[in-house]
Amino acid sequence: MASFPIRFVTGIEAKGNILIFLSIAISRSEPSLISLTSWDSIYIKLLKKSIPHSSLTKGMNLVKRWKRSFFQIIKMGLKAEVLIVGGGATGAGIARDLARRGIPSILIEKGDFASGASGRNHGLLHSGARYAVTDPQAAKECIQENRILRKIAPHCIEETGGLFISLPEDGLEFRDRFLRACEKVGIPTQPLSPEEALTLEPELNPHLLSAIHVPDGAIDPFTLVLSNVKDAEDHGSKFLLHTEVLSILVEKDKVKGVRVKDLCTGEESTIETSFLINATGAWADYFLKSLGLRIGIALSKGSMMITNRRLGQRVINRCRPPSDGDIIVPNHTVSILGTTSIRVEEIENFEVTPSEVSLLIQETSKMIPSINGCRFIRAYAGIRPLFIEQGKQNDRAISRGFVLIDHEERDGIKNLISITGGKLITYRLMAEKTSDLICQKMGVTISCTTHSVPLPGANQSLALRERLKNLGRKEILCDCELVKRDEVEKILKNEKLKELQDILHRTRIAKGTCQGGFCIYRLLGLLNESGKDFGDSNKILKGFLEERWKGIHPVLWGSAVKEEEMIEGIYKGIFNLR
Amino acid sequence: MHYDLIIIGMGLSGLMAAKTALDLKKRVLLIGKGMGGLTLFSNTIDILGRIPENLNLKDGLFEWIKDHPEHPYSKIGVEGIEEALSSFISIFPPPYTFQSLNGRNAKLPTAIGTFRPTYLFPSTLAGGTYLKEGNTLIVGFKGFKDFYAGYMAKEFKCRHLTLSLQDEGRSELTATYLSRLMEKEGFRERIGSQIKNALKGESLVAMPPILGLRDPMDAKKHLEAITGVEVFEIPTLPPSLLGMRLFNRFKEYLLERGVDLLIGNKISKVQIKSALCEGIEVYHPPITRFYSADHFILATGRFIGGGLEAERERISETVFHLPVWSTRSQDKWFGENFFDDHPIHGFGISVDPSFRPLDSEGKPIFENVRVIGTILSGHHSLYEGSREGIEISTGYWGAKRLLE
Repeated sequence: MASFPIRFVTGIEAKGNILIFLSIAISRSEPSLISLTSWDSIYIKLLKKSIPHSSLTKGMNLVKRWKRSFFQIIKMGLKAEVLIVGGGATGAGIARDLARRGIPSILIEKGDFASGASGRNHGLLHSGARYAVTDPQAAKECIQENRILRKIAPHCIEETGGLFISLPEDGLEFRDRFLRACEKVGIPTQPLSPEEALTLEPELNPHLLSAIHVPDGAIDPFTLVLSNVKDAEDHGSKFLLHTEVLSILVEKDKVKGVRVKDLCTGEESTIETSFLINATGAWADYFLKSLGLRIGIALSKGSMMITNRRLGQRVINRCRPPSDGDIIVPNHTVSILGTTSIRVEEIENFEVTPSEVSLLIQETSKMIPSINGCRFIRAYAGIRPLFIEQGKQNDRAISRGFVLIDHEERDGIKNLISITGGKLITYRLMAEKTSDLICQKMGVTISCTTHSVPLPGANQSLALRERLKNLGRKEILCDCELVKRDEVEKILKNEKLKELQDILHRTRIAKGTCQGGFCIYRLLGLLNESGKDFGDSNKILKGFLEERWKGIHPVLWGSAVKEEEMIEGIYKGIFNLR
Repeated sequence: MHYDLIIIGMGLSGLMAAKTALDLKKRVLLIGKGMGGLTLFSNTIDILGRIPENLNLKDGLFEWIKDHPEHPYSKIGVEGIEEALSSFISIFPPPYTFQSLNGRNAKLPTAIGTFRPTYLFPSTLAGGTYLKEGNTLIVGFKGFKDFYAGYMAKEFKCRHLTLSLQDEGRSELTATYLSRLMEKEGFRERIGSQIKNALKGESLVAMPPILGLRDPMDAKKHLEAITGVEVFEIPTLPPSLLGMRLFNRFKEYLLERGVDLLIGNKISKVQIKSALCEGIEVYHPPITRFYSADHFILATGRFIGGGLEAERERISETVFHLPVWSTRSQDKWFGENFFDDHPIHGFGISVDPSFRPLDSEGKPIFENVRVIGTILSGHHSLYEGSREGIEISTGYWGAKRLLE
């Protein structure tokens, strides 16, 4: 009891006997191991035992009224063995890895899962071929993880295969080096003649000199992260979303805990921990700043554009040293063109510039000429955290390998670890190495199993074909991506969602051609009618439209202008939203 | 086939021009790809939404014209606009008529629980002007995904009722389907009594615009007889039944007066000889036909209507390839925020006082071609709340100045 704040104890005294039962519940149990739902049941049990039946209703009302306080109690009492900061692929991967070794953790994320680079990338399941010539170590990690992910996460992957094509201006010199390099790191390649390549991908530039088939694929990063989270939760880990770390509490040479803030309620609390893992990706240096530490992360903005149709069946790469606009990845019904690489100083508030748009169209249309007349539905950017090695000035030359830092060795802080850099596809390996280090520090030897145990959901398919099959006569909320009303209702029922974006992340709503222009009104209507709105609906609607606009206006021309005129006509005209 | 006038575009401005020309006993061909923007946005007739609330429309227009010499309204003048509006109103005989609220903008409720200013509105929307906290029961339909009674009820602080039509055997309802049901007396009786039972002292009942296409006032009066309170519609997402009613009435009026209509056809070519347009070629698969006329009116609308096209480096006019007053670079077309008034909305065709298109030096390009409607430059109709006003007044005067 001593660890509980005075404010709350006076609350207990002031409110009479009902809260005394509460205090029993608290003192009998280890707070950090009880979720909110089990709190409810424990103390409803107590109520049933200790209070005459007539007082029960009164008690239940108090339960409701003080629910918020319980949240607070739980948070105040949180104590973690391992605390992970960052809910991207790496953080979620570490939580899963540790949980499967029997070490439960708490993960804190200031937004939703995969809000950073994990959710803002190409969705490419690298074969490693892209890095074979310039960065063999990263290439080796990629092909190794590529094979593992196909086994453990088939539900997140579309096995498209990929082509590396050489255009007349590229010549064949790089291609030969490329083939040798792939062989060296163990990436299987299959050279194709231009005719064969054009039969497989008719929209390719007909003047191509050569194509090489590699095991590239497409991956759905959000499902990947959620599957890791699900497995970790099933094995005792906990996740706090929309929770920001305010400060790191250090005593001598050890981290004691962190001060955190619930961004939805504004409540602050402290979480104690034996180990702290910095898995904040691009925010890694920002996170360490208060400790006076710095890893040396370069922030590299990569911009991408989404076409409104799928341009081909395979990933198309340009067979040349990594450069701008050299990859086209098919994804469900669309294709994603990318990327650029621009050094930035700020992690937030970045956008795709007109010159990036021009560059991407110019470069990718050399591989698929029809891109010139394509309609685009959105442009977006992500920030790659790159670890700067001495002497590498060009961001394209910096290794895409990851960096694991034991701050005990480097800075004398015993229980702090940072993991950053890397690629989405190496997240599992990064998690494995981090978990190995934690185990070593704990003095335990339990080995990693995440390379062989499939993720939850591995036997389900999320493909469009399946969605079409299950559609039946159900009401459809989003016409572009065929999202059913009951699909959304199920998510509302099952998950603790705090804002509109959380729902959008978990469905394909707003990911199609209209980018939510129509279905956002329907989604808000549904939320209102099911009593699950997140506050002022029109304010949320405005916020959504502004956020949507950021991705749309850089690529707004052609027939998309018609649709935008319609969307504006609806919200600014018919609905008079100002 | 030869006509006095060929009008290209079947939105509100094209329809108004056709009405005006037919009233002057001219032989008219009206050609369009579809119903134009009418079924998208024209639920009511906006003239100028952006005027101070206490000002009447006439005074508001005087001020506006003084400050906006390049605006289409400035080519017409306040009295001209009023004359055009009377002409519009005259084709809607009772009971389904258009009215204003004492010469001022009325504030009508929207489907997200806001109010929007508009000038003329049809009789089925009139009840909306009385909506106040607590006095309206908002009725929605389960499975009709374009109208959420609960959403509006929260904003308006009213109660709502969501009716379930399970016996209809479908999980998804559309506005047109509901409106067909609403044309059946038995259906109205059934839902009317459900609504009556749900009323708790409310004096109004709001519904999506589904009171039928043929005789909406009949449906309204029947429901009012059952429930004992006034019933009105709240406009929502397209397709707009309100716009379809407008279109249908125009079509009926024009056909009675001998218009030739070509719906669903595209112009494949215009034939020009020096500064005169001689005729148009229309592609009716599999054949192409030529239509000639003394005069032509272009009323193709903006981007949705197909009058303008935005390529990456250029905005062009699609039929006569007229010069479009615009900026070239795509990143200058739009503001940074969605709710900005984007520069692209001001782009369009410049015309002289008789609506002849002008070149970059201000000289008329064609002697016998006029341009009307929202494709004109010099207005931001969405931002101003002036879409239908521009369409009606330029449609009316475009034809009148040409033919008189």
